[in-house]
Parts: sequence; structure tokens; C-alpha cells
Amino acid sequence: MKDLIRVRSLISADVEMLLNQQVKKEAYSSAVYLSMASWCNRNGFDYSSDYFFKQAEEERQHQLKFYKYILDMGGNAISPEITGIKQEYNSFREVFEEALDQEISVTQSIKNIYARCLKEQDFVTNEFLNWFLKEQREEEYKARRAIELFEVIGEEGTGRWQIDKHVGDIKYNSEA
Amino acid sequence: MVTTLIDPQTNTWADVFATKAGAVYQCDAERCWYVDFAGKVAKFDYRCLLKLKKAVYNVDIEAKLLETTKDPDVEIIFICACDHTYILTLMQIIALKEILEGTFVMLQLNSILQDRIYRVAV
Ligand SMILES: [Fe+2]
Repeated sequence: MKDLIRVRSLISADVEMLLNQQVKKEAYSSAVYLSMASWCNRNGFDYSSDYFFKQAEEERQHQLKFYKYILDMGGNAISPEITGIKQEYNSFREVFEEALDQEISVTQSIKNIYARCLKEQDFVTNEFLNWFLKEQREEEYKARRAIELFEVIGEEGTGRWQIDKHVGDIKYNSEA
Repeated sequence: MVTTLIDPQTNTWADVFATKAGAVYQCDAERCWYVDFAGKVAKFDYRCLLKLKKAVYNVDIEAKLLETTKDPDVEIIFICACDHTYILTLMQIIALKEILEGTFVMLQLNSILQDRIYRVAV
């Protein structure tokens, strides 16, 4: 008896499902960042607005990476439905705190897929996920650094204006 | 001299899994499966078999059992882009689920065997 399922797809149905959920998560992230860009822009934080526009674009690229991988492996990539995007924030700081929460949840989700692939010995998908693990290092670093600016600069006086200016300069360049 | 083994039975169906209620066969030549259930034999390709599995697994059997409405106890299993529709009672759903579960375990086992016998260097 031929192994017809393996012939059609490199990834298992379970991994395919998890990857599709990740497509949705990345799309959701992108939409959240877009909403943050709007809020920052409306409230006079132009550098932060630009920062979130860039983040939104990056998340969109992540979504497409997962999407194309699923298709390349013979799976069925599902275009996700995204709803429930928060449009208003209570404070400048809250925006960044939620951005970090969002990145943490993405990291955890990718770790979960990684664990599942290890269990199935799907090393091919693990190799694909390695890029994302490294990317999450950068994403979490940047989000954490932004919150750190609130601590070191302080929000009093022209603090928020200063913080906004520095958000534009946040970079992660680790050789490790 | 290399001799090529030609399987004389390429067009035959291999038993995948069977219960008293029905059975699933695989046809290597057509790259498909035949599901013998509820009085008919239906042909499924890879995509449709996965859709059938999803549709059947998604029926909340427990909720249906607890339902006290007087609605008839039937479920329609309609699979998009497939030729087959099943109209099944709850008992039939349970039986079909059992067959599909067994089928996918056997297909997975086949995959492991193929790995061990033909694919993996040892
Ligand atoms: Fe991402």
C-alpha cells in the first residue's frame, strides 16, 4: 500500500493546523500594530507611529512567510478572518505594554509549534521556525526597550516627547 | 541484472480499516480511498478524505446526546467540493467516526512502515 498522505504533503495535518493558526496570529499582530500607529499619530507621537507602521509591515511579512510555507509543503493555507482590534488606548505607555504582550504571545505560540514538530520529528518545519525564533528575540527586545524608555526618561514634563523621539532609534543588533 | 518487480494487483483495493458498520479501502493506482458506509461506496481523494474527517470530528456528539429538542436526530455531512453528502443518525456518526479514526491510525502506521522498510537508512 502506497503512503498516499506523505506523497501529498510534507507536514502533518496537526502541524498544518498549527501553522494556519500562526498565520492568523501574525495577521492579528499586524492589524494591532496598525491600530497603534493610528493612535500614536492622532496623539502627536509621530516617531512611535512610524515605528508601529514598520512593525505592522513586518508582521504582514511574517504572515506571508508562514502562508507560503504551508502551500510549499503541500498544505492548505487559509486566509484568516481578523476581528476585534482595539482602536483606543488609555495612555501612551499602555500602547507599548500591549505591544510587548502581543510579542510574548507570539513567541510562546511559535515555541508551542516547535515543541509539536520535535515530537513528530518534523525537523524540516523546525528548521523553518528557527528564523522566527531569532526574529522573536529581536521583537521582544525592541518592545521591552521601548518600555524601558518610560522608566529611564520618565513621563513628566517633556518626557513623553523625548520617549517618542527615542522610540524611532530603537534597534537590535546582536551578533549572537 | 536488475529485475523490476511489477505488482500485478495495482488496481486492487487494499484494506485500510473495517468495522461491522463499514470499511475504508485504498486504491494505489487511482491514488484515492473508497469509503464503504451507509449503503454506498464513495470515492475520496486526499483533500476530500481530510475534509470528511474534519466534518465528522467536528460533530459534537455529547451535545447532541444531551439535546432534548424534538428535532430529528440526524446530521448532514456535506463536504465542500466533494461529490458526496451523508445524512446520518447520531449512531451512524459515531460508527463513521470510529472507522475514520481507525483509518488514520492505519495510514499513519503505513507511513511508519514505509519509512522503516524503504526510506530510512539504518
Ligand atoms: Fe511576527
